[in-house]
Amino acid sequence: MTSFQSTLEDEVGIAEELAESQQAISIAEFFEKNKHMLGFDSGARGLVTAVKEAVDNALDAAEESGIAPDIYVEIEEVGDYYRLIVEDNGPGLTKDSLPKVFGKLLYGSRFHAREQSRGQQGIGISAAVLYAQLTSGKPAKITSRTQGASEAQYFELIVDTDENEPEISVEETTSWDRPHGTRIELEMEANMRARGQLHDYIKHTAVVNPHARLELREPKNHFKFERATDQLPEETEEIRPHPHGVELGTVMKMLSATDSQTVSGFLQEEFTRVGKKTAESIIDEFRDRYYGREMRWRPPTTGEDIDLGAAVSAATANKGADATAAFADAIADAVADHDRIAHHELVDAVDVAAADAEADYGTTFGDTVRENAVEAVWLEIIDAADDTEADSKSDGTAASRLVAELYTLADEATSTRKDDEIIHAFAERLAATFDDESEADNVRHRLTRTQLREFVDRAAELTEEYDDVSFGETARENVTDAVWDVMATVPDDPPLVRELDSDRDAASNLVDGMRAADIMAPPTRCLSPITEELITAGLKKEFDADFYASATRDADVHGGDPFIVEAGIAYGGEIQAEGSADVMRFANRVPLVYQRGACATTDVVKSIGWRNYGLDQPGGSGLPNGPAVIMIHVASTNVPFTSESKDAVANVPAIEDEIELAIREAARELKSYLNKRRSMQQRRKKQNVLGKILPEMAAKVAEVTDREEPDINDAVARIMNNVLVERSVKENGDGQAVSVTVENNSNTAESLEITDIVTAEPTNLSEDATVVEMDGEWFVKWDIDVSSDDEAALEYVVPDDAAFDLDVKGVESEKLTVSA
Amino acid sequence: MSADNDQQAREQLIDLAAQFYDQFELGEIPHMSVPTRTKNNIEYDEDKGVWVYGDRESTRSANSVRGARKLLKAVYTIEFLANQLEEDRSSTLRELYYLSESWDNNEAQFSDQDESNGLIEDLEIVSGVTREDFHMRPEESGATIMGPLHLREQTRRGERDIHCQEDVGEGGYQIPNNPDTIEFLDCDADFILAVETGGMRDRLVENGFDDEYNALIVHLKGQPARATRRIIKRLHDELDLPVTVFADGDPWSYRIYGSVAYGSIKSAHLSEYLATPAAQYIGIQPADIVEYDLPTDPLSDSDINALESELEDPRFQTDYWEEQIELQLEIGKKSEQQSLAARGLDFVTETYLPERLSEMGVI
Repeated sequence: MTSFQSTLEDEVGIAEELAESQQAISIAEFFEKNKHMLGFDSGARGLVTAVKEAVDNALDAAEESGIAPDIYVEIEEVGDYYRLIVEDNGPGLTKDSLPKVFGKLLYGSRFHAREQSRGQQGIGISAAVLYAQLTSGKPAKITSRTQGASEAQYFELIVDTDENEPEISVEETTSWDRPHGTRIELEMEANMRARGQLHDYIKHTAVVNPHARLELREPKNHFKFERATDQLPEETEEIRPHPHGVELGTVMKMLSATDSQTVSGFLQEEFTRVGKKTAESIIDEFRDRYYGREMRWRPPTTGEDIDLGAAVSAATANKGADATAAFADAIADAVADHDRIAHHELVDAVDVAAADAEADYGTTFGDTVRENAVEAVWLEIIDAADDTEADSKSDGTAASRLVAELYTLADEATSTRKDDEIIHAFAERLAATFDDESEADNVRHRLTRTQLREFVDRAAELTEEYDDVSFGETARENVTDAVWDVMATVPDDPPLVRELDSDRDAASNLVDGMRAADIMAPPTRCLSPITEELITAGLKKEFDADFYASATRDADVHGGDPFIVEAGIAYGGEIQAEGSADVMRFANRVPLVYQRGACATTDVVKSIGWRNYGLDQPGGSGLPNGPAVIMIHVASTNVPFTSESKDAVANVPAIEDEIELAIREAARELKSYLNKRRSMQQRRKKQNVLGKILPEMAAKVAEVTDREEPDINDAVARIMNNVLVERSVKENGDGQAVSVTVENNSNTAESLEITDIVTAEPTNLSEDATVVEMDGEWFVKWDIDVSSDDEAALEYVVPDDAAFDLDVKGVESEKLTVSA
Repeated sequence: MSADNDQQAREQLIDLAAQFYDQFELGEIPHMSVPTRTKNNIEYDEDKGVWVYGDRESTRSANSVRGARKLLKAVYTIEFLANQLEEDRSSTLRELYYLSESWDNNEAQFSDQDESNGLIEDLEIVSGVTREDFHMRPEESGATIMGPLHLREQTRRGERDIHCQEDVGEGGYQIPNNPDTIEFLDCDADFILAVETGGMRDRLVENGFDDEYNALIVHLKGQPARATRRIIKRLHDELDLPVTVFADGDPWSYRIYGSVAYGSIKSAHLSEYLATPAAQYIGIQPADIVEYDLPTDPLSDSDINALESELEDPRFQTDYWEEQIELQLEIGKKSEQQSLAARGLDFVTETYLPERLSEMGVI
């Protein structure tokens, strides 16, 4: 005994010793050991990640202030290290916020905002600063100039990794050529092995940010990406959280922060898409979970030997015979009007009857009287009044009313294969649990669904045990549902916000209620899609292709966060034709360059049957081959990534579906383009062959018939279903009459823009043509619509010596035959 | 073979080329329409008693690459034929096919002989001039006549008077490519017996059938050449001789009879000139197979298909042929002419033919 005691004393010593060595870990220290989690696992990758974080920050900063971003990135070799410089033309930073933005992990304005933005956690750029500091030992050098400031501020900054606090080591004013903006200079251990990813990142950023100007200077390269538009992305609006997406911790924090007194007010104030009606439906769900529902029993029928009026009369004393009788009858009638009645509904009925009786007879029906009446009636209804209880117990055969009702419910809810006897036995046991509740002070039969399920389980287990039958999960669930459905939500007022604040279980009930309620999808003004037009502009800017298509889907929701998917396709032209198509992935306008294979976007692209859209796809699945670039943009207030380094979009079915629909939408345009191109190719081929055969045939026919060679243009135009534009010139006294005829042999209407450049002034011009003189040449312009199989003519008169030059626009060259 | 005739043929061809020329000039798509040459587009001409093309036409138009090539070839061929007529030369269908290789235009060359044969048929139909008048001839027909007929043939080496029994060897008189150059001088024959196979023809000659029954034995050599059909037609029309056809008892032989009697699908435009509607079929009939219990072969799948297609052929839609063809499909058997030898070498001349011919009222 003593030795044991001494051992215990020793252990106390060890615990103390252990406690001494335990201490808080700073975020920065944690990062130091887990660099890979944030995308700094190697020198090559670290450089790309640092560029990415700095550029994302710069774009966000400029856009938020309504400035078209102009970003300069420079990478220099400095001895063993690389120096990364990123400059932007954003609003600049004040001295107070600057150290925190660059030097404190998890500092940011974005984390709590429900709004689409590039960065979210506030880790990115400070992690880059920390990475630079850890690998090179050098501070980050930051220059910032706020709008209107006469001078720029220069800082050198290091992060105290123990405290996660930035320290400014140098601070001075300096001059800078940018009127406003921020410049950060980091020296870090790095290499350029991930050059490909770096270039992809910059190029892809240029594609989805056509409003930004980007410049990248490397030791051996220099790229410039000019703006394609001055139109800034639409400003996003922060939205309040959607009830479907929030978690318990968040709700508890919101509860303690809110000014609202009532839950209804809290819901309407703090959440999006919650009005009075929605709040009420959430509160109903909450009541069901917090208070439970009350069981509604059927009122006695005439066949049953139960006289509710008599029961009320018996329970009512000293109110005069007439008043008592009226009161009793009113209650009995009110109860009989109900198909089923719950305790609180009975209370209401009694209150109404009491008020009526008071008005009619001038007698007061006080609380006690009412309570007595309620109790008397309720006990009759649940078959717990003294006399009936005695009856059922004495003869043992007359089942209680509750058994009969529960039997009906259970019989409907369970499969027909179950024996009536068994169901009856089960109903008896379930009724017994309700009776137990009556005894145990829950005479109102108020139960949560969980409690109800427990009752059902208990009854089912007993049935299994005594009757030797199985009463499985499905049957139990069905019975629970059936009973739960007839139960009534109670009218009790929900607790006040301050009561909920300290009650974790109640708050949890509220969150469950929020999730269960039917609520409209969140608004999308918090999102900023690139838009179809700008996707095409971005693609055109960076890819010299023959064809571009884009699609922007309508917003959808996943886990409470709205999202929009966009897709774009560029095809042909200078895009590399060998190998598989490029897939460009973007999340909130940020290019994703790593972990392509783990990304939902890639999975979707691979699952599409590209052969249907005219692209080559070996084996009928996987990435398509050919000169194509496929881009996908997922914009959301919370893009689900597979990891903290934000390289791949997680496989969320709702998002995958939208990605597929967006790609298919763009691919359909590609298909019709390819089909058209194919038919133009065939037409060209036909034209080439016929262009050879027909003149030969004409020559031979002329030879055989011994005549001049015939004019075959008309025939050729007709054969090719072409549009024929033909000039004929006739001598007309001292001048010449010119006629330019358009003959449409195609099967669609055609609109032509014809410009005839004449070296002398034309007169007697057709009405629908115009003429403009320029440097001694007359431009005759004639825009004409010619329907299928129709003709139109432009006519004018010019002096003898005039020369002509005809230009026709508006018809594909394959479909046009000009002889002028 | 007069120069006038040649001149007329040449003009017809050049008119055709001029038609293309005018189409070009009018801005029309050059084209030429010919009747569709399938069995669905032949119909019975009651006035002439032969089968001719119906109203359905196929258009060879420069609208498509294929059509344009066809027309180009047609123009080149017209030029060739016109020159040939001018120079009074002739050539065979096969020579035309090879000759196209020498044309300066690759696109105008024929890819196979069916194509050039088809084109000559097209030109015949469109210009209304027979290919004999274009001076185009088939390779060789080699078909012969044996029997009491005296005729005069215009050859390149002058006129020849020939008696088709006395002036010829066992092989008989060889029918020339253009039988219209023949003049019939004298004829002692009572009827024409056209025979499909060489073996049977030799058997009949050896047994002296032509002598004994005053028969003109014409050897068809399978599907008869135009010249053979033409001379049969002339013998029937000019000398009033009944025509009978003796062939194997299978669907292909019925078609041989069909082309003698009704005209062939390919040359229905010339039916009036080639077909002898009065020709009668001797056998072997399916009924004979049953009646004489001849040695047989089973019908192959292609035989059955051919028989079924004949049932749909308008030329065979008579009670007689429907009955015979259905009988053959029922028994599923066919027999050759020479299977009659199973009853002895003389059975055919002494029993079968006399019986059938008297049944048919020829002798």
